[in-house]
Amino acid sequence: MKEILKLGLILFIITAVSGGLLGFAYEITKEPIAEQVRLANEEAMVKSFPQGEKFKKIEAEIPEDSNVVEIHAVYKGNVLEGFVVKVLSKGFGGPIEMTVGVSKDGMVQGVSILGHSETPGLGAKAQEDDFLSRYQGKSGILTVVKTGASKDNEIEAISGATITSKAVTDGINEVLDFIENHLDADNF
Amino acid sequence: MKTIAERIKNGVLVENPTFVQVIGMCPTLAVTTAAKNGIGMGLATTAVLIGSNVFISLLRKFIPSKIRIPAYIVIIASFVTLVEFLMQGFVPALYKQLGLFIPLIVVNCIILARAEAYASKNDILTSLFDGLGMGLGFTLALTVIGSVREILGAGQWFGIQIMPSSYQPAIIMILAPGAFFTLGILMAILNYIRNRNTKKA
Repeated sequence: MKEILKLGLILFIITAVSGGLLGFAYEITKEPIAEQVRLANEEAMVKSFPQGEKFKKIEAEIPEDSNVVEIHAVYKGNVLEGFVVKVLSKGFGGPIEMTVGVSKDGMVQGVSILGHSETPGLGAKAQEDDFLSRYQGKSGILTVVKTGASKDNEIEAISGATITSKAVTDGINEVLDFIENHLDADNF
Repeated sequence: MKTIAERIKNGVLVENPTFVQVIGMCPTLAVTTAAKNGIGMGLATTAVLIGSNVFISLLRKFIPSKIRIPAYIVIIASFVTLVEFLMQGFVPALYKQLGLFIPLIVVNCIILARAEAYASKNDILTSLFDGLGMGLGFTLALTVIGSVREILGAGQWFGIQIMPSSYQPAIIMILAPGAFFTLGILMAILNYIRNRNTKKA
């Protein structure tokens, strides 16, 4: 009995000290981490809509089954140019968080991947410009093909990572659909 | 000084965690799709290994042997979380590359194995260098496997194109089977060299 108490107490001390240290480290790194997240978001916004000058978060009704997270209106001067929408899509290794810039007339301006858990060397290639630039200027409903995109709305998949390519495309399709059917450009 | 050099040689060559002890296979097979990932994962593991070895050696007289495993796990998990916080806050580029693999270090059995087999029985300084040696051995192994897979599977090395453009990359090498092929063949080569050396001697 006495031994059990002693062992329990020692284990308690070890876990309590570890917990305390982690709490301390969390407090110290909270600010820099939040700052990094903010910078990453800003960077993603600019990358998704390079011509935009001002990004303003807007409130809009998001359907319940939608994966849209956040909507920003993009202005150049005082003129509305389009939207940047943050969306979650289901990838191979977990959710893919990305922002998609779409002009008023429904053309993809740019895509940026904020977070993902895809396989390094394969699906993770989706965050490279080489792949993301394939979406530039696309509109309508996009489909993924394994080799040689020949039609306007076709996107060539990353070799060995068709599921990831499809996931990114699904996210973009969702954004395009959302802007088409749920956002009224005249309101902003 | 002698033990320090001996610990490092032991970790890198004599008891190389990957090629000789064959432990920590999960990250070895999973992250080595490119040489850069191998180095990153190896160095992150080394940092945790040194930290946990030092602390476990420091506390070796305080931790009763009956509860040593849960105590080690708590210490290792705390170190990993600490490394994760620091990387996320101060080196976001590296964190973005390795983010997914950091929590995996907790379950890397090299760390628990070194705690159990070495740090819990030896003084702080030699435990530190044992961690360093094992970490470097692991880093070296991961980088070699990553290099082979990246060169054959993508025609690149550290992201730079080195194969002529006529070379058609063998994508299977950066897929899961490629990890097993590479590891098996490298181990066979090393064992062949070792056997030949023993025969000579």
